[in-house]
Amino acid sequence: MALIHVRNFAKSFDGKQVHKNVTFSVKEGECLGLLGGSGVGKSVVLRSLIGLEKPDSGEVLIEGDDVSKYSERELIPIRTKVAYVFQNGALFDSMSVYENLAYPLREHTSLTEPEIKNRIHEQLVEFGLEDAEFKSPAQLSGGMQKRVGLARSIIIGPKVVLYDEPTAGLDPYNTVKIQEMIQRLRDKGVTSIFVTHDMPSAFAVCDRMALLQDGEVVAEGAVEDLKRDPNGLLQKFVKGEKP
Amino acid sequence: MNTYLHFFQQFGGAALLFYQSFHETFRKPFYFRLMLDQIYQVGITSLPLVIVTALSTGMVMALQFGLGLEKFGGKLYVPKIVSLSIVREMGPVFTSLMLAARVGAGITSEVGSMTVTQQIDAIRALGTSPLKRIVIPRVLACLITLPLLCSIANAIGIYGGMYVGAHDLGLDKEFYIQKVYQTITLTDYLSGWGKTFFFAMFISITACYFGLTVKGGTKGVGVATTKSVVTSSIFILVGDYFLTKLFWVIEQWL
Repeated sequence: MALIHVRNFAKSFDGKQVHKNVTFSVKEGECLGLLGGSGVGKSVVLRSLIGLEKPDSGEVLIEGDDVSKYSERELIPIRTKVAYVFQNGALFDSMSVYENLAYPLREHTSLTEPEIKNRIHEQLVEFGLEDAEFKSPAQLSGGMQKRVGLARSIIIGPKVVLYDEPTAGLDPYNTVKIQEMIQRLRDKGVTSIFVTHDMPSAFAVCDRMALLQDGEVVAEGAVEDLKRDPNGLLQKFVKGEKP
Repeated sequence: MNTYLHFFQQFGGAALLFYQSFHETFRKPFYFRLMLDQIYQVGITSLPLVIVTALSTGMVMALQFGLGLEKFGGKLYVPKIVSLSIVREMGPVFTSLMLAARVGAGITSEVGSMTVTQQIDAIRALGTSPLKRIVIPRVLACLITLPLLCSIANAIGIYGGMYVGAHDLGLDKEFYIQKVYQTITLTDYLSGWGKTFFFAMFISITACYFGLTVKGGTKGVGVATTKSVVTSSIFILVGDYFLTKLFWVIEQWL
């Protein structure tokens, strides 16, 4: 049973048609890798799934509800179920790491402050961020910021997580850390979409992949099937060949 | 044509933000703590600037009128002219212009930086509203603090005029205060003070609008900040004319 459906998604920017007819779906508990060159609009599709962007036409369905038709107020319950991990972490720089993690808990749960404190400590230990609790985002490395961003996004236990290039620009240690966290969430049954250029990470965490090119999905399938097809579009993309 | 279209687009965008803010102000959740933080940022930290501006305005006006009217034997009219000008015009307008420069620029650059670093998107993605967390606390803080700052500016401006009157023009302090009390009516005071609520909206909505619509990274933040200060200053100056007319009509009815 598919949890996410994107159907006939079309969007243009400044008169330029970026998405013509993007269609794909993601089953419950599955991790879909959304691949494609720079500027093909992968992040725009991802942002549309929580209503940060609206398509010109087409449908964006989460559990059968077309979120593209929702108002900002109607999107709030959707955004508590669907988490978005920003490429740069997008941490609130006026708050400490602790306050960043407390933000969704205070907004969407009825936990008391001691319970919030315990929940944050558990999360910090799980993400290897114990020493960062009272630091400001500016005092953290890029890798730590991304880990805090991921920790903040999933702290209230979403059903779906959308990753926007979570490993871009990271050293191998932080890349592996992020991969492990994504795998752990996948093992817990969290549905996810993973937008990336980082092919080793994509192969490590994704169940299926979809290749976005010229405004539509041109190749889609299980990772093993796509790997086996030596002349397939995905192989050409991985090897850096012109499609 | 594009310039006009762009102008109306921005004007429409700011008007829509005003409507949405008004609509959302009375709906849950309420963020009192954020509003109190903003009251401190807008009000308390702007106080020294407002005091200096009001004091120097009152002193300069008294000096200019005093020296000018002395030739015609009209020096005794200085308390009347200075206090009336300050209460009806100079106090509200100068305080608002100072706040447009200081607070408006601060809001636009802060919100603009949050926009380009995707913090505004993060507020939305985490199931909360930038309107409730960012815009409304700032608008309410301006609406509460600007009239208070204006009252302080009026008092200090009149004191500045009195100081110059006593020290440079040879006017008696008690005479000065007596003339101020005789001249200024509640209607005079309210016709100037009432404008500050409109000016607070001009400053806060314009600043938030330009901050939320920043494009083009850090350079865009600088451009938006300049636009915000210029636009809200123009709104204050042009709006002042129409508000003066409006209050004048209301005064005729009363």
